[in-house]
Amino acid sequence: MMQKFNVIWSKYGTFGILILLTLVMGILSPQYFLTTGNLTQVLLQSSVNILLGLGEFFTILIAGIDLSVGSIMALTGMIAAKLMVAGMHWVLAIIIGGIFVGGLLGGINGFLVNKTGLHPFIITLGTLSIFRGLTLIISDAKPVFGLPQAFKSSIAGWLGPVPIPVIIALIVALAFIFITNKTKLGRNIYALGGNSQAAWFSGINIKRHTMIVFVISGVAAGIAGIVMTARLGAAEPLSGSGYETQAIAAAIIGGTSFFGGKGKIIGVVMGGLIIGVISNGLNILSVPTYYQQIVMGALIILAVFLDRLFGVKR
Amino acid sequence: MDYIVEMKNISKDFSGVKALQDVSFQLKPGEVHILLGENGAGKSTLMKILSGVYEPSSGSIVINGTAFSKLSPKESVDSGISVIYQELSMIDELSIAENIFVGKLPMIKKFGIPVVDFKNMEEIAQRMIEKVGLKRSSKDLVERLSISEKQQVEIAKAIASRAKVIVMDEPTSSLTGEETNKLFGIIRQLKYLGVGIIYISHKLHELLEIGDRVSVLKDGKYVGTKDIKDVTKETLVTMMVGRAVNERHLKPEDSIHTGEETLLKVEGLTRKDRMVQDVSFELKKGEILGFSGLIGSGRTELMNAIYGAAPIAEGRIELFGQEVIIKSPYHAIKLGIGHVTESRKETGFLKNFEIWKNISLSRLLKTSSLGGTWGLINEKQEKKWAEEYKASINIKCASIEQNIGELSGGNQQKVLIGKWLAAGSKLMIFDEPTKGIDIGARGEIYKIMRELAEDGVGVMVVSSDLPELLSVCDRIIVFREGRMNGTLSIEEATEENIMLAATS
Ligand SMILES: Nc1ncnc2c1ncn2[C@@H]1O[C@H](COP(=O)(O)OP(=O)(O)OP(=O)(O)O)[C@@H](O)[C@H]1O
Ligand SMILES: [Mg+2]
Repeated sequence: MMQKFNVIWSKYGTFGILILLTLVMGILSPQYFLTTGNLTQVLLQSSVNILLGLGEFFTILIAGIDLSVGSIMALTGMIAAKLMVAGMHWVLAIIIGGIFVGGLLGGINGFLVNKTGLHPFIITLGTLSIFRGLTLIISDAKPVFGLPQAFKSSIAGWLGPVPIPVIIALIVALAFIFITNKTKLGRNIYALGGNSQAAWFSGINIKRHTMIVFVISGVAAGIAGIVMTARLGAAEPLSGSGYETQAIAAAIIGGTSFFGGKGKIIGVVMGGLIIGVISNGLNILSVPTYYQQIVMGALIILAVFLDRLFGVKR
Repeated sequence: MDYIVEMKNISKDFSGVKALQDVSFQLKPGEVHILLGENGAGKSTLMKILSGVYEPSSGSIVINGTAFSKLSPKESVDSGISVIYQELSMIDELSIAENIFVGKLPMIKKFGIPVVDFKNMEEIAQRMIEKVGLKRSSKDLVERLSISEKQQVEIAKAIASRAKVIVMDEPTSSLTGEETNKLFGIIRQLKYLGVGIIYISHKLHELLEIGDRVSVLKDGKYVGTKDIKDVTKETLVTMMVGRAVNERHLKPEDSIHTGEETLLKVEGLTRKDRMVQDVSFELKKGEILGFSGLIGSGRTELMNAIYGAAPIAEGRIELFGQEVIIKSPYHAIKLGIGHVTESRKETGFLKNFEIWKNISLSRLLKTSSLGGTWGLINEKQEKKWAEEYKASINIKCASIEQNIGELSGGNQQKVLIGKWLAAGSKLMIFDEPTKGIDIGARGEIYKIMRELAEDGVGVMVVSSDLPELLSVCDRIIVFREGRMNGTLSIEEATEENIMLAATS
């Protein structure tokens, strides 16, 4: 009995919770919550968080963490905005400012983790502060406006009935599913998270893979930064503060094991959607945002607790 | 009835896999009761039920007259049961003394506040580890210990807990003869004190020496219990396997395998940490080269250095006629080296992977580029490889989709051997290759080694089991304190002169 529950829980738990929550919200507020418009809104609101969670996923998979994703998001958004305002074509600006700089910042995390041997928690706690400081310096603590219309409408616009940020998150999720399921890189990252010593003796270069994991997380955060900037229509120096909690929550609620080596991209997407449904639902029910934070915190603890409880085989 | 432990009609299912069916087992105080059976017979599972790790599906357990339908780990410890698991479980970051006393640190009141009595704890621990023959300070961190030293600490820990029942699940799997003798001395003392001992091992000669009674399991079922004085190796094997197996020596007596071509040439190798000093030898095509010596004499350390897992200060290595500098295990596998390591839990398998993913891992890396990061995978192909090795080395499992953690210890070891065979290694390092492997499968592994050597693969074997080295190797190098202290051809090697070279 217990064993069957374990299997079902680990396979469909997150999905079940998502459906359950949607139903509960639907019953509590049928006229607002369960409309196509609102559900699309949930997807749109979740997209940035899902993007961050997708990158975070890899760092947690190697039993690490990336606390700097919110700061990377702000810094990349800011640099891209500055480049656009300085006259660079917006496509080039998001490639350089968003993707390239995002990867570079992630690479700094990876480099520091490899060189110092300190836990990523410490390193990224440091860079969380450093990257935020850099954002404030280059922006002089002021938002940057005046971004090209083409940028805003291309990144934050709609493709028919679907918001483009949702499509971007979907594309990144699909790319990451490909990496985790179909490439040696993905397999190696899982191996590293399961037992780094054994992975090393099997021939996996730990440092190189750690580096790549943090670069992936940085790139995902960079893409999130671009999406966020386009949606706001401006680069805010303080955007993304506290988003690391949400990103970690998406990964953990989605079933990524904090102890490393276990988890799925699809779970992260569902984790992000669960958070989206909860905050959207609570908004509709006019629960103040402060309470929402409490719910979020409780969910993280619950998710890890359930992982401990059912993740261990008896 | 004066049994200290009575397990009655125990069954255990693991989601469909019947690991134990209606097994009964009794232990008397002061006896050494051997539990015998092939890999996957259910020995460890039965003991994990006794220690409260697993709940039995049915059956009951009586300890000292108290009946339980299941035990929690705490109830088990409180009832005086102490288990040394097959896969050692110690806290690397703590000292030997702390590991021995974990959960029950001796306290002392200082200014009315209870604090850990480190001095007392370290003294007691020191005495304990000396008793088991471990030459270390009890303040040393466990992470610095070799696998066999850890095994000795586990034994010390069980003694220190003043348990009434001590379960030893393959305690000697990486101990050499001398350390095993020390352990037997301790076991005799414990017996005298009335401690009941359940002893699991695949080394039959040990069982006959130390056991009082033996119970045999086969495929999760109870076969029978006998007094040791009424059995021989042959009767035990027949009970265990269901048929007679002759432990034949695989090395044909007449031919000497040493060929002309040199596969590996090591010259003046010294490790940065000096654990290995000035080692030179050659491995010829077709031969199996054995490495003997006491624990910590530098055999494993040499293998790690060759494999790129430990830095070298001096010396050169020639592999297949080319001088190589091997910087990492990745580099080593690219060059065609495979390494079945000494500790399967720590440096061997990936506990989060299925059997098939464990088997394919190094092969995928070997055929990858950009430092192991580039390349696609094909699950169908991987599963085909896994099925191949499941059949050829006879891995006992319900399916290759099972998580490797669910396999019995011996079968985990076979998966790891399969992993390096799958990678098509041209030079194989086997460090304690038959650790935890039953007598039938042991013969299969020796056969695999011989076939590899005949196919031109270089084979090096580190083993603490002298009869094993004598029956598979063509030449044996003996280590002492990080240096080579003699090379014996199979014609001149005997247990006696190997021991002599290892100790003087
Ligand atoms: N957690 C588990 N989940 C599923 N199956 C399991 C689990 N643990 C053990 N088994 C299965 O139960 C059987 C008995 O395993 P057990 O570890 O008790 O064997 P053993 O006699 O100790 O063998 P060995 O000599 O190789 O250590 C095996 O078929 C094994 O695959
Ligand atoms: Mg076992």
